[in-house]
Parts: sequence; C-alpha cells; structure tokens
Amino acid sequence: MKKIRLLKMGHKSAFDNMSIDESILLHSQKNNQSTLRFYGWKPTAISIGYFQNPLEEIDIDSCKNQNIDLIRRVTGGGAVFHDQEVTYSLISPIENKFIPLDIKESYYKISQGIIKGLEVFGIQAKFVPLNDIIANNKKISGNAQTRKKGILLQHGTILLDVDVDKMFTILKVPQEKLKDKIIKNVKERVTGINKLTGKEVSFDEAQTALIKGFEKALNLNYTIGSLTPSEIKLALELKKKKYTTHQWNYKR
Amino acid sequence: MLKKSTYKIPEGKLVKIYLKEENKKITEIKINGDFFMHPEKAIEKLEKTLINCALNKKILINKINLFWKENKVDCFGINSQGLTKAILLAK
Repeated sequence: MKKIRLLKMGHKSAFDNMSIDESILLHSQKNNQSTLRFYGWKPTAISIGYFQNPLEEIDIDSCKNQNIDLIRRVTGGGAVFHDQEVTYSLISPIENKFIPLDIKESYYKISQGIIKGLEVFGIQAKFVPLNDIIANNKKISGNAQTRKKGILLQHGTILLDVDVDKMFTILKVPQEKLKDKIIKNVKERVTGINKLTGKEVSFDEAQTALIKGFEKALNLNYTIGSLTPSEIKLALELKKKKYTTHQWNYKR
Repeated sequence: MLKKSTYKIPEGKLVKIYLKEENKKITEIKINGDFFMHPEKAIEKLEKTLINCALNKKILINKINLFWKENKVDCFGINSQGLTKAILLAK
C-alpha cells in the first residue's frame, strides 16, 4: 500500500488552487511526500494550458464581464472551463510500482482512480488516450500532467454538470460563423455525473466517491492532512508573484 | 510578413505556429498549442534554437530531435515530425 496525504480543500479561487498545487509540488521535491488533493473553483474560472495563448483561446472581455478568472496552468493541455466539477491533483515522486515512468501508462494508471470513483454512481467509464475519460461515449474528465525533478503533478477535472452555452461565451471558436454548430457538437460530446445519474450529485458526494476510487485503484493508504505552514507560505508567494500576474498569465 | 498555421498532429495534439521568415530561414517563431512538453520552459529555448534554421523538413526534424535529446525534454501529444509539418504549413 502506498502512504499518501489526503487533502480535502473545498472551493478556492483559481489563483489559490494553482499556487497550492505548485507549492505542494516544490515541497515534494524536498520531502518526497505524496499528496492527493481534491478541490473546486470559486469563482468560476477558465484555465489555459502552459503553451496556449489566452488571446487566441479566450474572450477576455467576456471573462471580465462575468467575473470569470483566467489562469495559466503549469501543465500543458487545453483550455478548461471550471464551473460545476470536482478537481483532483496527485503529486508524488515517480516510483515505478506506483506511477509508471512511461507518460501514457501513468495517465492510464491514474485514470483508473477516477473510473473506480465513477463506478460508485453506477457510471461505466473508460480511459481514452491521450488524457481523457469518457462515459456513454462522452467526455467526463480531462487530465494534465507535468514532471519536475522526479516529481509528477497530475491534475484533472471530473464534471458534475456543464453549461456549454456559458462555456462558449468565454471560449473562442476558430470560425465564428460555425459557432452554433460547434456548440451543438460539444453538447453531444461532453457529459457530467448529474446527467448520467439523473440526480443532483453534490461536490462532497462526488469527492467521497473519488477518494474511494483512488484508494481502490491505486492501493492507497490515506492520512487525512492539511497544508503545512511552509506550503501555505510558498503558495501565497506564488499567488502574488506568479499566478495573479499579467506576466505569467499572458506570457505566451 | 507573419505566417500562421494550425495543425492537429495525428493521434496527438493541436499545434499553432506563428513565424516570420527571410530567405527561407526562420527569423521569429512562436509555438502554441494544447500539447505537453516537460520541462515546459524548454519551449522558449526551442523557439530560440529554431531562429536561423532553414525551412527544410529534414533539417527541422533533426534540429528538433537533437534539441529534445540534449535538453532531456519529454513530449506527449507532439513529435518532431508533427511540429515540423506545422512549421512548414505556415503561410
């Protein structure tokens, strides 16, 4: 069994969330600790992948008008609209038996935690390379990973529900005249726990199911914990000097 | 003149290129997209490395492969062939 710290952190701002993930990652490089963290986003936010240009992907004015935060992630991948979802981050030294060295295999292995968690609600889901999980042939989870000095950070979302119309008031589309078609297409290709179960599943219920799922799939032995004072201090520094800055969020 | 391309790598991710060229050599380049590359910071160094590189398939692939090897870069959803194709498609 793999000993791991479990953090249930509730809803925080995009800037807090990404600062905390990076602070845990940087501490893990020194103390070799593994952490599984669950969180939500308040206010609603849009995150972009490390290599994306926000001016290309996002309607910045619409974000501002709706008080939707924009943030660049430390991980690659695409733009993600964070609204009605549970987000996890797994931060751990890369150890062959726990997290495979091979990137594709590591995505597969970690995805099994989400798939087992969704089984609690009777949802049959499967991993689809490169980094998605689908249920009923529709995307329910997207995941992104980075590796720094032997430490893996993978974070991802599990949708409770999705308001595609709201999402596309923020996401730019390649051709404006095709917007209606694109929205229709995305509605047909994305789903959430609520839609699949026909019930209103709360953040806490989904979090509990995912905790069980990860425990089973990755053979984890949890210690319920909290951030250390040093992690909090560094997260606050990262928030101030990196994640809330124009220099970081518009760097590419 | 600024040239642009958007290319979805087969079984990979989307790459968006902005480049300027002179005499079939890159003078400026920006590589955006939803791919993965660790360490991420390597992208800025790769963009610098590609300055003055000829817009030639073989030369670009070799240069990108060598850069990834020398800088111990792991890629996911992007490869040298796909990135080269995206660069050469820019117009």
